[in-house]
Amino acid sequence: MQEKKVPLRIDGKDYECDAGITILDACVKAGIHIPTLCYLEGLSQEAACSICLVEVKGAKTLLRSCVTPVGKGMEIFTNTPRVRNARRLNLELLLAGHPKDCLVCDRNESCELRKLAFDMGIRDIRFPKTQESELPSDNTSVSLSRDPNKCILCGRCVSVCSAVQSVKAIDFSGRGKASKVTTFFDQGLANSVCVNCGQCLLVCPTGAITERSSIARVWEALADPRKFVVVEVAPAVRAAMGEEFGMPAGTLVTAKIAQALRKLGFDKVFDTQFSADLTIMEEGHELIQRIKNNGKLPLITSCSPGWIKFAEHFYPEILGNISSCKSPQQMFGAVAKTYYARKYNIDPRNMVVVSVMPCTAKKFEALRPEMMSAFDYWKDELGLAEPEAFYDVDYVLTTREAARLIKEGGIDFLNLEGEDFDEPLGISTGAAVIFGSTGGVMEAALRTAYEVLTGRQLEKLDFMNLRGLDGIKTAEVDIDGLKLKVAVANSLGKARPLLEEVKRGSSPYVFIEIMTCPGGCIGGAGQPIPTDEETRTKRMEAIYREDKNKTLRKSHENPAVQALYKEFLGAPLSEKSHHLLHTSYKKKETVF
Amino acid sequence: MTDKKTAVKNKSSQSGIKKESLDEIISRYAGKPGGLLGILEEAQELNRHKYLKRGQLEYIACKTGIPLSRIYNIITFYAFFNLKPQGEHSIIVCRGTACHTRGSKNLLDFLINLFGFKENDFSRDGKLSLTTKDNKFTIKTVACFGQCALAPVVEIDGNIYGRMTTEKIRKVIKKISHRGKK
Repeated sequence: MQEKKVPLRIDGKDYECDAGITILDACVKAGIHIPTLCYLEGLSQEAACSICLVEVKGAKTLLRSCVTPVGKGMEIFTNTPRVRNARRLNLELLLAGHPKDCLVCDRNESCELRKLAFDMGIRDIRFPKTQESELPSDNTSVSLSRDPNKCILCGRCVSVCSAVQSVKAIDFSGRGKASKVTTFFDQGLANSVCVNCGQCLLVCPTGAITERSSIARVWEALADPRKFVVVEVAPAVRAAMGEEFGMPAGTLVTAKIAQALRKLGFDKVFDTQFSADLTIMEEGHELIQRIKNNGKLPLITSCSPGWIKFAEHFYPEILGNISSCKSPQQMFGAVAKTYYARKYNIDPRNMVVVSVMPCTAKKFEALRPEMMSAFDYWKDELGLAEPEAFYDVDYVLTTREAARLIKEGGIDFLNLEGEDFDEPLGISTGAAVIFGSTGGVMEAALRTAYEVLTGRQLEKLDFMNLRGLDGIKTAEVDIDGLKLKVAVANSLGKARPLLEEVKRGSSPYVFIEIMTCPGGCIGGAGQPIPTDEETRTKRMEAIYREDKNKTLRKSHENPAVQALYKEFLGAPLSEKSHHLLHTSYKKKETVF
Repeated sequence: MTDKKTAVKNKSSQSGIKKESLDEIISRYAGKPGGLLGILEEAQELNRHKYLKRGQLEYIACKTGIPLSRIYNIITFYAFFNLKPQGEHSIIVCRGTACHTRGSKNLLDFLINLFGFKENDFSRDGKLSLTTKDNKFTIKTVACFGQCALAPVVEIDGNIYGRMTTEKIRKVIKKISHRGKK
């Protein structure tokens, strides 16, 4: 259908644009920059910040361009003294109540508010502080921290939590001066349905939402000569870490990361991709077993901890459909503190496993009480008492935190030549790389399932229709006449229709992959800021590039994983596998 | 572990609410736009002390599918909803501009002193709502009654009193205390 076009004039130049779009959209299309702190394309249109003001001929007041539709023959001015002064004034009013600790703020370099204040030439804050008392921070969550004092009430976090994730853990409360973003009865994120995905953090224009940092603990462990500190790095990290050092989005820095972490003093630098391959072995066999034994289908992936908590709150009826496999992060910790510790004669009590993740929910996952498999494994043999209990993964760093660690360590990241990960837990295949992108776990599982089921080599490894940023992707895979329907969803809001089908028992699929964050792990809340459509696309391309460059591209071909089964686990889904690599889920009783 | 704690708390806070009455209220508003406001209004009336209990709100969220965060948004936005037990008598002091210039701050301070509230009983940022220990009186403020010509205005048990003075307040309080009921 042909969209109706309307003529209009912006800053003295004539344009034609689609009827019904906003002035802001029209300006963006015309290449005119309009500053804004609350607007997010297609997501947040709160008209809260009043920075995007423009002057329209004939209008009595200045108009917010983000919510004003264009009109025929409209004459718009974006750069008059009146516009500049009003924008400045509104920004100054926002700054009046904002803390001035930018120097030591977590978002120092990536803060939109700070940048805008500089760009608009504000060099002095004329107004006194509007908030009389400091509001308490919400530090209940092990993943995220909220400081309401830094919040400018733009509403982006509320929008993303509701519209993208359909979680709705947070909303505005109070009115006027007492307004703030909070949870039910201010009881804190940890006591709400928050799934720790942290998408709110990614869209926050200030430092009001940050991750709970583990950097200090990691430095402590590295400085302790008694500790054997190993690190695992998630797939999506290598496609994004470079951005923290000023490299363009989509630069692969795999080898630089390995070398940098080694220089920081980690005893071994390993790869979560090793355990991603292991996950495919377990989950692939679980799928095959469920198909063969008429088990519960569809099988749903379990790698994404935000999704797991979401299911425990909102879809307890279908917990049995979720793979019992732990996520690669947790499988790694369990294997490192058992198999590796035994093989290299390291006391598991002295072993510290640090993970570098694109994710904030991983911090929560690592502290789930059931994630102590290695302790259970050693308990009797070493005569360990309960107070000595240790987690499989000790500390989780986000991509951003790991970059800070590297910077604090004084390492010239950009000029590193690059090194390999350590053996054996650093060996991985291309199938593991693509875990970092939506559709990747599915594709990796299909590569292995096909070959295990048919005993033949898969000719075409690339499942193109499972790739890309679409919210839901589906495919039908033909395995020797056995037609398997599969679906992939990224973001929890997009997953809902698929889950409703499963709940009703009408799902046509045998296997569903769900990733909490838009784009999958490459768009996780631990990633560099900004994480937007452009950076997600570039990181995704990098992930598939890395897969293409790998000699081995199927998980079951990973020699280190094969050795692990031969020397230690036996076979996929063995009893030992079940103890170390699998878990269970429980309905969460909190009300949504 | 925290979740387990919350679950237990939720369960205990849900006991002591009138589920049948709530069900009836919710069913009457089912499908009506803005129905939540009506539900909350009536739910508040279910309690002798005219406030919304946490368990009630959790129950309403479960039954209606409206997120808790949204319900909290609404009840903290409207001055009408109370989250704390209210006294038998309500005294609402207007703090609008007209009343302020005519000394409503003095009236408020007078009441705060009269009932012996301390400065740290309340924050000046949020909604002001103070109830005496014997649950007899609740003092609240409002932004404007729209009766500016009568400033300063105080509403006591639903009646608007104009050109209020501390002396007049004292008299009205004395009267309603003796009556025992409004």
